Amino acid sequence: MLLLAGLIALVQVSVYLLVTRANESNARKHVEQNLQIGAKIFRQNLSERIDFLAGSAKVMSADAAIKPLLMQDPIDGDTLRSVLLSYTDRVKAPVITIFSPEGDLQAMTDEVLGKENVGPFGYLIRQAGENDMEQASGYSYLGGKLHVLVVVPLYAPYPNVGAWFGLAYPIDTAFANAIKNTTLLDVTFTSNPDEPNVRVLSTTLNPPMAEAVARHTATREASLGSELLSLGGEPYVTLFESLDLLGEAPARIALQRSLTAELAPARELERIVLYISLAALAAATLAALWIARGVSQPLQQLAQHTKLVAAGDYTQRIELPREDELGQLATAFNQMTAGLAERDRVRNLLGMVVSPEIATQLLQSDLKLGGEEREVTIFFCDLRDFTSFSEKMPPTEVLTLLNRYLDRMSGIIEQHGGVIDKFIGDAIMALFGAPVAMPAAANSAVAAAREMARALEILNAELRAEGKPALAFGIGINTARVVAGNMGSKTRLNYTVIGDGVNLASRLEGLTKEPAYATPIIVSEATLAAISPRPTARALGEVKVKGKSDAVRIFALSAKGETTPPYSV
Amino acid sequence: MKPAILPLLLATALVAPAAEFSCAITSSKGEPVADAVVSLVPLDVSAPPVPATAQVEIAQQGQEFSTYVTVVQAGTKVVFPNHDTVQHHVYSLSKPKKFELPLYNPGQAESLVFDIAGLVTIGCNIHDWMISHLVVVPTPWFAKTDAQGAGTITAPAGRYRLEIWHPRGATIAKEITLKDDTASRETSVLTLKPDRRVRRALGAKSTGY
Repeated sequence: MLLLAGLIALVQVSVYLLVTRANESNARKHVEQNLQIGAKIFRQNLSERIDFLAGSAKVMSADAAIKPLLMQDPIDGDTLRSVLLSYTDRVKAPVITIFSPEGDLQAMTDEVLGKENVGPFGYLIRQAGENDMEQASGYSYLGGKLHVLVVVPLYAPYPNVGAWFGLAYPIDTAFANAIKNTTLLDVTFTSNPDEPNVRVLSTTLNPPMAEAVARHTATREASLGSELLSLGGEPYVTLFESLDLLGEAPARIALQRSLTAELAPARELERIVLYISLAALAAATLAALWIARGVSQPLQQLAQHTKLVAAGDYTQRIELPREDELGQLATAFNQMTAGLAERDRVRNLLGMVVSPEIATQLLQSDLKLGGEEREVTIFFCDLRDFTSFSEKMPPTEVLTLLNRYLDRMSGIIEQHGGVIDKFIGDAIMALFGAPVAMPAAANSAVAAAREMARALEILNAELRAEGKPALAFGIGINTARVVAGNMGSKTRLNYTVIGDGVNLASRLEGLTKEPAYATPIIVSEATLAAISPRPTARALGEVKVKGKSDAVRIFALSAKGETTPPYSV
Repeated sequence: MKPAILPLLLATALVAPAAEFSCAITSSKGEPVADAVVSLVPLDVSAPPVPATAQVEIAQQGQEFSTYVTVVQAGTKVVFPNHDTVQHHVYSLSKPKKFELPLYNPGQAESLVFDIAGLVTIGCNIHDWMISHLVVVPTPWFAKTDAQGAGTITAPAGRYRLEIWHPRGATIAKEITLKDDTASRETSVLTLKPDRRVRRALGAKSTGY
């Protein structure tokens, strides 16, 4: 989730940066185009100004009122000047001059501009006169200030020139501002870059910025075109153009547009995009966290419970009231825990009801009826005269005593690898070599019998101390190939062994009751043969087993290994 | 008119107690209006003729006319002396009197009699900003409001048409009656158009050169 949010953030940042760069590049291109257009508009503007001035001058020169004045001799300069002043309002040109046909200044509206400053008009008059032009125009300095100049002849009548009118319009800050109004571009006029001190002639910029442009112009030498200038800390795309002057080195026009101003709408958009991106990112992160919390918390809960279950605690249940997959998982988990608890309980119970080996066998193998033939040492142990013994005692006391006895005996059998097949009243049926095959099964069975005999002595000593009668048992051991497996119905079955060998073992146990044999432990010939090394045994002769034609040789084993009577137990 | 009656009439006119009419003129903004022409044209009798010696001067000085508004009774002689340092070419194309006084030098004076009542706007052919209004009225009872917008006329009792005129285009005409020894007061509000006089070009005197 957080990875996803990070990815989104990365994409958004990339898009933002790309858009910003594209905007900047576009803005620069746009500004450059605008500057080109601005330069054209500027030149158009100047050209229109010249046409207007020339048109006005022509109408003016045809004005009858001034002609009588020009007819007078000498010329009334003061009156002439007052007439020119009257004309300034008509033609909206602040500077109007009148020259004799020979080019001598006769009057001019400007009191300050001297004769020495009207040279550029003389230049245009010569040009117009030599070429018989209806008008001549150009750019020049008048008194150090940049002007657009127009000269027209006063025909008296054509082709006689009665006088020359010279009109001038300053290319001043007001003019620059007019250009700015139509083009939205800043414009700065500077003197020729080769001058020792490049002057700002007029500008729409503030003085320090205009001075910076002028200084830059000086360093640019003669190169024209557009470039990015930093003015007052702001980037300005600047287009430099040349303005030819009458008989002088050309002046320079610098058209500028602030890149920041051009980018302002884009920046605004970028800022909005940034805010939206950040908001989306924050929302995505919150959503991711919320979802992660919704997933991780139950997962952690499940992990915690898994640890508990692994440690064997099946009592805990997960409370996760959700409809989704996690809820289903929790339910399944709870069912699994319950199942495990149930299995554990069954296993414990099984361990008590059957011996652990059988239990394991039962749990490991498929519970099926039927079995296998294998060699097993079958061990029977029965208490002597227990029936009469039990009649002398209350039943609960009998049961307590029996359990005490069986507990010890079965413990010894199990210690020697025997498996308790079943308890039959006071009798114990045990198997050595089934269900798990074991080496020296007969040895173990005999060893168990002998230890049981010792354990019984200890138990009897305790019983005597308690004022209770002592116990005595007989043990029969036979080794034979029998069928071992699950027997019973489909719904209820026991693991046990069946066969003649089992009956013989039981029979041998019964024979220990015979006083003639005088032994508590009787083993078959097969068992004795299986014991290695062969122990000392007293042959008891042969017994006929029911249903078998062959007699079986039986042997007595002393409880403590003695070979002659009196035998222990 | 019989010769025997004329002196009597004149005597009556001279000795008859006169009524004083005064008016105060303000603009719609409440400011006093100067240079408004107020005249009383008699309705029941004919106005007395203008004296033969009557003469008014509209001079040119400092490349301006000496008065912006001048009121005269019809038949009055108006002199246009050039007290200036430059030549002038005074003219008018107004209906009551079309005339021109071609370029004449300082020190010279030209004169004209204005017989017909009406407005004569006078200019200078070579100085666009020079404008003067000559109002020719058919009555000897007229006044021009001062800077406070006030004008006073003393006239015999009788019915008159009160006419008020101003260069900025407002005209009022209404009938009033003057009574002997009774001062009449009139307060008028004029709605004036914007002042669109040509500004005089004073020449470039900028110090930046």
